[in-house]
Amino acid sequence: MKIRNLAAAAAFAISAGGAAFAAEDSSDPIVIPIHNWSSQIVMSHIVGNMFESMGNNVEYVTTDSQAVYESIRLGDVALELEVWEGAFGASFREALERGGLHDAGDHDAVTREDWWYPMWTKDACPGLPDWEALNDCAHLFATPETGDQGLFLDGPVDWLKHGKERAEALDLNYVVVNAGSAAALWAHIGAAEPDRTPVLVFNWTPNFAEAVWPGEFVEFPPWEEGCDTDPAVGPNPDALHDCGNPADGYLKKAAWDGMPDKWPNAYALLKEISFNNAQIAEMAKLVDIDDYDPEEAAEIWMEENEDVWRPWMEAVGS
Amino acid sequence: MQTDTPVISCRNAWKLFGPNPRQYLSQMPDGQSYNDILADGYIAGVKDVSLDVGKGEMLVIMGLSGSGKSTLVRCFSRLHDITGGTIEIDGQDIMALPEKGLIELRRSKMGMVFQSFGLLPHRTVLENVAFPLEMRGQDSHKRRERAMEVIKLVGLDGREGYFPRELSGGQQQRVGIARSLVIEPDIWFLDEPFSALDPLIRREMQDEFLRLQEMLGKTIVFITHDFDEALRLADRIAIMKDGAIEQCDTPDQIVLNPKTPYVLKFTEDVEKALVVHASALAKPLNGEAVEGTPIDGGMTIRQLARTLVNDPRENLPVADSSGTVTGVMSRKAALDLLMGPA
Amino acid sequence: MFLQAILVTALILTAAKPILPDFLVRLPDVWIPPFADWLDVFFEFIRGDMDAGRWGLIYVTRWFADGPLEFMLGVTANILEGRHRWPYFENPLPWSSVAAVTVVLGYYLGGWRMALLAGGTMIWTALMGQWNITMQTVSVLLVAAPLGFAIGLVVGITAWKYRSFDNAIRPLLAVMQTLPFYTYLLPAVIFFKVGPTAGAIATTIYATPPMILMTTIGLRKVSPEVVEAGKMSGATRWQMLTKVFIPTARTEILVGVNQVIMLSLAMIVLTAFIGMPGLGATLLSSMNSFRLGRSLEIGITIVLLAIMLDQMSKAWVAKQPVHFERGTPWYLRHKHVVVALVLFSVFYVAAQFFDMLNDIGRRQSFSQAREIDALIKGFLALDVVKSITGTIRYVLNVWVLVPFRDALLWIPTSAFILFVVAFAYGVGGKRPALYALIFFSLVALSGWWDRSVITLYTVFAAVFLASLFGIPLGIVASRSERWSKRILMLCDTAQTFPSFVYLLPAIMLFGITDTTVVLSVVIYTMVPLTRYTIEGLRNVPPEMSEAADMSGATRWQKLTSVQLPLAVPTMAVGFNQAIMFAFFMVIIAAFIGTQDLGQELQRTLAGTDLGKNFVLGICVSLMALTFDMAILSWANRRKKALGL
Repeated sequence: MKIRNLAAAAAFAISAGGAAFAAEDSSDPIVIPIHNWSSQIVMSHIVGNMFESMGNNVEYVTTDSQAVYESIRLGDVALELEVWEGAFGASFREALERGGLHDAGDHDAVTREDWWYPMWTKDACPGLPDWEALNDCAHLFATPETGDQGLFLDGPVDWLKHGKERAEALDLNYVVVNAGSAAALWAHIGAAEPDRTPVLVFNWTPNFAEAVWPGEFVEFPPWEEGCDTDPAVGPNPDALHDCGNPADGYLKKAAWDGMPDKWPNAYALLKEISFNNAQIAEMAKLVDIDDYDPEEAAEIWMEENEDVWRPWMEAVGS
Repeated sequence: MQTDTPVISCRNAWKLFGPNPRQYLSQMPDGQSYNDILADGYIAGVKDVSLDVGKGEMLVIMGLSGSGKSTLVRCFSRLHDITGGTIEIDGQDIMALPEKGLIELRRSKMGMVFQSFGLLPHRTVLENVAFPLEMRGQDSHKRRERAMEVIKLVGLDGREGYFPRELSGGQQQRVGIARSLVIEPDIWFLDEPFSALDPLIRREMQDEFLRLQEMLGKTIVFITHDFDEALRLADRIAIMKDGAIEQCDTPDQIVLNPKTPYVLKFTEDVEKALVVHASALAKPLNGEAVEGTPIDGGMTIRQLARTLVNDPRENLPVADSSGTVTGVMSRKAALDLLMGPA
Repeated sequence: MFLQAILVTALILTAAKPILPDFLVRLPDVWIPPFADWLDVFFEFIRGDMDAGRWGLIYVTRWFADGPLEFMLGVTANILEGRHRWPYFENPLPWSSVAAVTVVLGYYLGGWRMALLAGGTMIWTALMGQWNITMQTVSVLLVAAPLGFAIGLVVGITAWKYRSFDNAIRPLLAVMQTLPFYTYLLPAVIFFKVGPTAGAIATTIYATPPMILMTTIGLRKVSPEVVEAGKMSGATRWQMLTKVFIPTARTEILVGVNQVIMLSLAMIVLTAFIGMPGLGATLLSSMNSFRLGRSLEIGITIVLLAIMLDQMSKAWVAKQPVHFERGTPWYLRHKHVVVALVLFSVFYVAAQFFDMLNDIGRRQSFSQAREIDALIKGFLALDVVKSITGTIRYVLNVWVLVPFRDALLWIPTSAFILFVVAFAYGVGGKRPALYALIFFSLVALSGWWDRSVITLYTVFAAVFLASLFGIPLGIVASRSERWSKRILMLCDTAQTFPSFVYLLPAIMLFGITDTTVVLSVVIYTMVPLTRYTIEGLRNVPPEMSEAADMSGATRWQKLTSVQLPLAVPTMAVGFNQAIMFAFFMVIIAAFIGTQDLGQELQRTLAGTDLGKNFVLGICVSLMALTFDMAILSWANRRKKALGL
């Protein structure tokens, strides 16, 4: 209810400012998908609140973060606020080819996903973050099951991170195990924390983990175009996946092709919106560390960052 | 008591259970015994039964469990479809009735009481009793009124709001009886109505039942496995074994002249003087003149015991209920029955 | 003889592995029919294509999802959590009003104890700041569960009326009850749109089979005299059904309702994968940001909700109507309704003035999530705990589980199938053996043999370990009435506790290893073993125990030579259920990280691979059914032999 009040107040403020929208938005609810990580949920609510303050109806549905592109294509949901290059680039491109959705611009934020370790690991293996130090430190990452090989905990198989291939391509003395979920990755780091046991896991930014466990990405041979398709690219001439992931991946917005016609004003706002890494981390922190509900977190963030979102609204309002 | 057109008329009725009974029956040679049929994989629930029940008559069907008595009564009400033969109710072949007609027949003419009461557990006494009226679509006010009448009749007023499980067995059967009477049926089927009750209650319910019957005068088919009960209640008794009727006769005749060894076994231990009426022992007058006060033919020999001992006459005239002398009874024969042959 | 022959053949095949032709070791890829592609073509055909305008099932399902279903979900969501839908109430119902009505309902069904349980659950939920998400869940369940009830009732009645229909759906129901839930999720999304609609449908489909079975059983059990009494009262067919059969079968039908409710609750977390909002979604996102305290609190809410609804619906089953004395005024006849309405209104008005009675947000709540979080993490970090679990992890992983898994994987496919056939023959007889042969051959032909074997290995290991703990626990508990009750209660609770909550602590203790997977399956699998052991032992006829006492048997002798042999058929049913539970749970364990069928199934959820999804699901189902048939046929024969 409080959210609604705030939104109403904002709507009043804008209409009082003499804003006149070019065309009417449909009164059908704009369906915004939310996934199972906090920054995306909070960001979705922030944008949803802005839509509501323009007089639109908004609804949130929880969806799978890969399957969502199919839903956008069909118009079941209207947009997606966090399209990560590394994680969802493939699903996004595939849906793009089949038609029905389009790229609605980039956020300022850049994304990165790669092999990562919490800072305490560096004490035991000072050669990091250079990847060439990995083999010397392999014994540090060993577990009862891996013998003298190190353990690298990769993301779930469906994230298609090619950890095994990279370990082979770069001749790393590591056993690559796939976690079943993001939560399993955190549990693995969390278990290592009290004793500051060295661990090597798959991780990405921006997310809440950087606030809990400061850490660094391993610096692999830098990404070159074609590293995943052409064996010749990268240090190992006979293997694919022999370099790191792009260090500055995009974070996009995607929209259903029908959105500009159905909700022209909301769509115009969507094009304006652009968050940066710090803002996204702040959103995650409000939920993951400060323990607010995402709705409350969105409300708090908007109270504290009016100077960020107000200009976007004014840009489309005038 | 009996009139000419029977209410229920059953001719060569068969009920076979098994995979393909109709075909089997049509190809079956005559004179197959129960066991022959069993050997062919069929069970003869009702085996070639012919029987009439007159208006206002109480027919008791007696037999041990598995003798087919319950099956027979279910054929009368077409809860079972018979395999062969015909059954007519008031001259109407019930096998020829369409579903609608059958439902109409049951709604207007038949009532039935069951051994384990067959009450609907989720309905109160009142709702159970009114159930047949509800099925007929009677409006709720009228049905309540009528149901209350019957509930009073069976002595349950004050309990109409109770649920079956809150009542004793005897009371539950009163509900069953009230339900079967609520539509004022012409034909009343009672399937071992008192068997599930303990002996004291059973006796009380039998008396209650006789009281009701005296008041209502329905045509009744009553089933029991208790020979004493049959003797006590029946106008006529049909004794069944293996689906067939061994003998169908008045209680006096069954006791005096059992036709088969099977029937004999039941009658052996019966105190005959309690059952046999003077009229059954009377011989026709054949023009002979008799003197003196006649005795009442409707009394049992046991009731006449004192007269028999004190009256010096060799032969006693017997009168029917209107006082007309209809026959003569040998005192010696009556005393033999009372005390056993000398 | 036959049994020995199969076993010897299997052993020879195993021993001769090095010289065996390849196709007996593993089916060559070229032999494997593209079942998934065929299924895809089939699904594509019946589905239709809305973009291309080709008619198909999807038109019907989408119409249903967008029309009636969306409407019903909208109504409940508007009333309970304020979603902007018809009837457009400005605010959702205050929590205190809803709680008051629930308490009165609890009192009506089960007296003060039930009222306390209901009140406690409601207050806990509100105080923990979870009211809103709970209502999101409840608003979907309020549509899904009645839908499951209605479908179950209609199908159940049809199956009771028409034997042939019954015979046709029985195997289908058996498959449905063993099919992993991930296989329900994907078609639900494709046909009914991601979000609460798909969540509701998946829940309904999952929860309906027991309702069908219970309806059929209940109607068959109506006493013939009651039926005849109805017929003799001149009831038409429709009157017979609605006024005689269904009310008389009330008990069984209500047991079915209880099952529908419990299975719907079991789906709360799982449907979160396909967009079901509420407790499940919040639980998953809490786990994804490693908030153990919060997820524990949500887990407790789910358990409380489940226990409350379970107890209430069971009380409803047991509740018999009681008469009122003549002349009781209407407000006394309906006193519960009156009290509920009054309390509802009082709290509704009060909530307009006191915000705490209306809605307790996360910020004002009494949640101790962070403290609990610290507590759990602190406990898991204790040296004692770590050294104990470290040892268990080492021994189990290195010495037991991994060698066992490698051994199973080493066995040639042909020999493996024969071993299973031998088991089914020895335990269940010819029919189960034949089915075992067909089913496992199909699994081999599916092309997912290795993953199937790993799934099976986890199930075996878990059931074995669970038997080691669960059966003795049951035996000890069954000695006293009081302990039996307590342990059975614990079983109920454990069964409703969302297993996801303990997965993370398990990972922290045992790493992402087979030990973690097996142990989390064990927790869930122990429940039926313990429960049926207790029930089997406590239901031994007292005369037999007394006879043993009079023969001068010691406790131990009585247990081993009288009670256990008589309880074994019941325990076998529990063992069977344990296997079914293990198959269910092993799929959830994909969340930890496994190499079995579950992992692949979880993977299909993100895409549109309906064919592959079904092939994987059917593999799980076929393996589960093989054991189900063999063990149940043994238990039934044994029961008959013992005259139980």
